[in-house]
Amino acid sequence: MQFEEDPRIKVARRGLVLAWTFFTVFLAAALVAAATFNNEPLLFGLPRWVALSCFIVPAVFVVALIPIVEKLIPDISLSDEEEEAS
Amino acid sequence: MNLALVAFLAYTGVLLAIGIWSYRIVEKVPIAKYEEEFYAAGRGLGGVVVALIIAGGMASAGTFIAGPGMCYAYGYSWVLINVTQTFLSLMLLAAVGIMVGLVARRVSVVTYLDIYRARYQSRAVVLVMATLVTLLLIPYMATQFVGAARVIVQMTGMGYFASLALGSGVVLVYCVLGGMRGASVATLLQGVVITVGTVLLFAGTYRAAGGFAGSTQVIAALDPKFLSPTMSGEFQWPFIFSVACLSGYFAAGSPHGMLGALSYKNTTALKRGIWIGSILVFIWTVLLCVAGVMGRAIIPNLEVADEIAPWLAMNVLPGPLAGIVLAGIVAGIQTTVAAMAIVITSSIARNVVRELGLELTPQQMKTLSRVTMTTCLVAAIALALTQPKLVQWIIFFSLGGIVTAAIAPVVIGLYWRRGNRWGALAAICCGMTLYVLAFTVLPEIGVFGMHPSFPCTVAAALVYVLVSLATPPPSEDVLRTFWGRPIKTQSAPKPSAT
Repeated sequence: MQFEEDPRIKVARRGLVLAWTFFTVFLAAALVAAATFNNEPLLFGLPRWVALSCFIVPAVFVVALIPIVEKLIPDISLSDEEEEAS
Repeated sequence: MNLALVAFLAYTGVLLAIGIWSYRIVEKVPIAKYEEEFYAAGRGLGGVVVALIIAGGMASAGTFIAGPGMCYAYGYSWVLINVTQTFLSLMLLAAVGIMVGLVARRVSVVTYLDIYRARYQSRAVVLVMATLVTLLLIPYMATQFVGAARVIVQMTGMGYFASLALGSGVVLVYCVLGGMRGASVATLLQGVVITVGTVLLFAGTYRAAGGFAGSTQVIAALDPKFLSPTMSGEFQWPFIFSVACLSGYFAAGSPHGMLGALSYKNTTALKRGIWIGSILVFIWTVLLCVAGVMGRAIIPNLEVADEIAPWLAMNVLPGPLAGIVLAGIVAGIQTTVAAMAIVITSSIARNVVRELGLELTPQQMKTLSRVTMTTCLVAAIALALTQPKLVQWIIFFSLGGIVTAAIAPVVIGLYWRRGNRWGALAAICCGMTLYVLAFTVLPEIGVFGMHPSFPCTVAAALVYVLVSLATPPPSEDVLRTFWGRPIKTQSAPKPSAT
């Protein structure tokens, strides 16, 4: 079947790849930190693995997410009328 | 009357006012636009509201009551498990939100099942999914009401039934009167109350437990298992990974989370929804869960672990602040119930009615929406009267069942053109059959100690691909609707009776 693909689909696919890649890296970082570090006190006396995998790693990823999302997902028009007009 | 109850009643009064105000707005909308307004708030929600709808909708009693409860029972291991849900809004809005936003505007999709209708053009797929959504989400809603009632009982001293009526009645009012418009405005207020309540509870607990250092020492003396990431082997790594997948990769399959993807205004709102939602879920989850663990250093032998959050609020905070925490916890539950009520109502009053070919006038449709929503909420309240005990496991069961059925038809179906109605039907049936078997006669399906939702979802995805490849591809109409360049006269796919 021949038909021309809507260029906005590429943006949607990029969103999927971004989400799955980002979450995979986050999950790996959190689980590896939990499995690697011991209970020595770190952040105000929290066990080291808790401070890293439950506080520091998620916080770093949350902060990193803001520029990643704003830069990698471009603004597109969602309605066909606006898309045709542009 | 205690100060906690006064603060909670004030919050409830504001919610009731929102319900009445939203009702007036919805009533002014032209009858032809009623469904879009009632189910998708006119598709005009900004980033903050979208973030709160997804974060508040997906973070349920599992986060606000059972989360601290499980952390009290299992220590920091459960904090690790819960913190993996931080990126719920990313996994929903970025993964499928843009595709859903495009298709929703192209063929007037306003409900979760409209997506299935447009993609698969199959009555069977829509009816099967409507049945599953109703069967699995009503018990889920009931557990939320139970959680809310237990918190109100703990903090006000009222009886269970009065507490249940107070916690659930107000949701009934603002959802039935205002639909998604009412729920979205209420969610804004609830988001603020949840966040303030969470921070207060954490701060009070931190102070009372002697900080992280003091509480860690006490907990280590009680049992070092509470400081282990796997509870000294009680939770295997595959189990932790599979639960993380449920609130990560599989979040895109959850119908109540999809409401945000259906109602956002533009891509700016979508992007804000992603990162604001992540910040909120992170703050709510980590602070409440850590408070649950530290609670053991304050009271080591609480009989019912799920009561730790309200117990802490009542014992480490002064009265009015405890009332804000109570309102915050109940608000977190109410946002989830509101989202689910809208999903179930739209499934029945819009999709099932259409598939069965019932001809209703717009006015009859409007009445049916409100009657259906009332009926669903009353059914959930009635189930809540039975006071089930294992709330967290019921939540996991319902959520796991829904995503097992939905993830392949939604995520693969939105991006893979070859996927078709036969693949979707086979995946839903196979996924649900395996899931039921895993919880009854074949627990071995949960290989390596995983939560059964993981192997069942993977199996359903494989079945979706194989059956789709073995059967005819979808129509050209579907290809154009979902992936084709815009053409001037785009029509909705015609229904067929598969």
